[in-house]
Amino acid sequence: MELNVLDRDYMCSGHVGCPGCGAAIAMRFLLKALGEKTMMVIPACCWSIIAGPYPQSTLKVPVLHTAFETGGAVASGLRAALDTKGDTETTVVTWAGDGGTFDIGFQALSGAVERNEDFIYVCYDNEAYMNTGVQRSSSTPYGAWTTTTPGQEWKRLRKKNIVEALVAHRIPYAATASIAFPEDLVRKVQKAKSIKGSRFLHIYASCPTGWRIPSEMSIKIARMAVQTNIFPLYEVENGVRYTINYMPKGYLVREYFKLQGRFKHLTDDDLEQIQEMVNEDWELLLRKAGVAMSAAGTVA
Amino acid sequence: MTQQAISQTVSPPLIPRSSTTTESNKTGSWRFLKPRYDEKTAPCSAACPAGEDIARVEMLVAQGLFKEAWETILQENPFPAVCGRVCFHPCERACNRGEFDDPIAIHTLERFVADTAMRYDLQADIARRPVQGPRIAVVGSGPSGLAAAYFLARLGYTCDVFESMGEPGGVLRWGIPPYRLPVHVLEWEIDRIRSLGVEIHCNHRVSADFLRQARDRYQAVFIGCGHHRNVDLGIPGEDLDGVAEGLPFLEQVRAGNLPDLSGRVAVLGGGNTAVDVSRCALRLGAKPVIVYRRRRQDMPAFEHEIAMALEEGVELMELWTPLEITPHPDGYRLVLQRMAVASQEGPRAQVRPAAGQTQELVVSKVFKAIGNAPEESWMQPPEGDARTLRLANTALVELHGGPLVVYGGDLAALEKSVTHAVASGKEAAMALDTYCQQGWDAVESRISQCRVGPGPSLSMEMYLGGDRCRRNPHVVVFQEINTDYFLYAPRLAQPRLLKEERVRDFSEIDLKISAALAIREAERCFNCGVCNQCDNCRLFCPDLAVCRDDNPQGRRIDYDYCKGCGVCVVECPRNAMALE
Repeated sequence: MELNVLDRDYMCSGHVGCPGCGAAIAMRFLLKALGEKTMMVIPACCWSIIAGPYPQSTLKVPVLHTAFETGGAVASGLRAALDTKGDTETTVVTWAGDGGTFDIGFQALSGAVERNEDFIYVCYDNEAYMNTGVQRSSSTPYGAWTTTTPGQEWKRLRKKNIVEALVAHRIPYAATASIAFPEDLVRKVQKAKSIKGSRFLHIYASCPTGWRIPSEMSIKIARMAVQTNIFPLYEVENGVRYTINYMPKGYLVREYFKLQGRFKHLTDDDLEQIQEMVNEDWELLLRKAGVAMSAAGTVA
Repeated sequence: MTQQAISQTVSPPLIPRSSTTTESNKTGSWRFLKPRYDEKTAPCSAACPAGEDIARVEMLVAQGLFKEAWETILQENPFPAVCGRVCFHPCERACNRGEFDDPIAIHTLERFVADTAMRYDLQADIARRPVQGPRIAVVGSGPSGLAAAYFLARLGYTCDVFESMGEPGGVLRWGIPPYRLPVHVLEWEIDRIRSLGVEIHCNHRVSADFLRQARDRYQAVFIGCGHHRNVDLGIPGEDLDGVAEGLPFLEQVRAGNLPDLSGRVAVLGGGNTAVDVSRCALRLGAKPVIVYRRRRQDMPAFEHEIAMALEEGVELMELWTPLEITPHPDGYRLVLQRMAVASQEGPRAQVRPAAGQTQELVVSKVFKAIGNAPEESWMQPPEGDARTLRLANTALVELHGGPLVVYGGDLAALEKSVTHAVASGKEAAMALDTYCQQGWDAVESRISQCRVGPGPSLSMEMYLGGDRCRRNPHVVVFQEINTDYFLYAPRLAQPRLLKEERVRDFSEIDLKISAALAIREAERCFNCGVCNQCDNCRLFCPDLAVCRDDNPQGRRIDYDYCKGCGVCVVECPRNAMALE
């Protein structure tokens, strides 16, 4: 890591993110790692609002606010324009929520990375359409309450594994990161910056408002998602080379679920079932990474 | 096409562009809870009789600031090299890390910083008031007397210390064997006290008359002459020639006057003196057996000292008490009575004789070490109508027609330990200073303002108005530590001489540790309640509302923008913040 990376900031106070906003923390860390030679593309998402009402901007780098489905396409165009001008130094970054990545922007994203466009696509994932009032997305996890999966109609479908979808495009670099692990996050952003071609980062960003959690628990819950294997930290190079960055210490998923209002309806049986799903996903990841399971502490 | 026309075709498209930052939004108005820095009290410092700022000391050691760590201890205790060796470290029992894996090896680190200062002959830079008029007499140069003189000197008083023996140190010099405390270590610490201007007059025994005459020369007298008279067993034969007292034997060993011992030697008692006597006897060639009327867990001696004694080969006979001692061709014959536990109420079990069960023990020598009392009656706080104020570890008495007298050390402390003696000397210094400046009535309340935690531990740094005054007296509990920031790590293993090497001579048993090991051990410390500048509060703030600042805290919260989310408070690993 570059010296004093964690000391610099390219973001101002006064943004209008909710108290404890994980997406605001994620942006802080991203820009600390990227520095000022950065241009951001932000399709519709929470950050379209957080960045401030016109004519304000909370970021100290240029931002292009664009339509929901265009993150991949606009970044491709921006890159081409900069290349035409001879500017190869500036990093182009698309910063999209899970709705703009998993659902609405997926086509443009898939198209851009298939062409191996030279930019970094970052999805900060708060697991629902939070900005418009907590509607479920294909990133919403199994078991969650949202305003479109209310009461006993809670979501009974698994979360889409977006990293694997991107890995299937055989892009040079794809990784997960969490706001609770700043050094790991900054390292991955800097590594992505040093690579040419399409790079994808999936950053876990807790949402106190939409998840019905106390704002002060934002980081704690992000950390637990990693500790329980619900959100493993790993990276994949060229679609094949897997590296797992954090080995769990045997926390049960129930510890993570019981802290959040969006899961409060779940029964012990439901939690048991979710634990099995998490174990299954983790074992699958371990197989891809070629790590012997006995050494990696799957939670029974 | 004209030049103008070309520039028109490439002019930027008409899109709205931001022209200002969000800093005009004072998002602090959203806040309904307010975080703030709120340093608290670590359980170790509240458990330390001398109230040392241990959480801060370990933070400084972890940063490699050994001199500053040493000076931080010296604020509260003039004897870090001694206490790092001989203290029974109640701090470690209170350590929150004990609930996580193992407590920090606090005493080892205390000794390490003091030994480092000794090795490089460092000069301490410590807060001190200019010397003022009043003189104070100190009777006894044991740990309480020297501590009183040290703290009084720092408060600007001139002290004369009177010692009946030829060299200063009291129990530290004469009662603790060299394998626990080498004498050069003690001398180095005493020299530092002398360098503050304290005069130590050796071979100067003080009498009861001294108190009556002291008024002319001294504003006050501190009496800390300890318990030096042996308590009798009250059984036939205890006065036989060759039935020896424990403390004089230890003095003899200290003086280098080593008698030859052989065969079985009985040591009667269960305190630290009994254990030290038996371990010295072992080193002189005997096979000692400690005879104690209660059980091992009831022995007043420190548990780790008992364990080491047994490891070295000392034998322990629990629940036996001597009935008589008679001469025997091989030395002495002891008749021992079996005891039975009658009640387990109270800190020590109550025992009674088990009828009809006795046995004989033939030994070559007998040592009595069952306890000590003051040598003369004037050395105890008088009963009666003298105006008296009893504090935790001292008693203040206004004698009729005499000066103010403070009884300290073993004469008045809660427990008989070196660190309680230091606590007593410190309390006496604070009490005397308050008495001289504000009078009798102010003493109690002034001292209660300097408490570390809820117990009797006191801080001189707080008395002098230092940074510790800012600390919240709340003692941090384990559940308040954010253990996500700590990894399991084994406690430092104290390097020691092998058992075989130990019993050969009187060499110090505990060996030195390297700076690398000390830093690693100090890094295990949670620094409960004390900010160690980890910067998590600033790093994780979603609103960039925590800023660097040159105040003593090092940072401040910008309440113009702080939305009160509380992330900083939860992510503080050591509970040095509060949300209210």
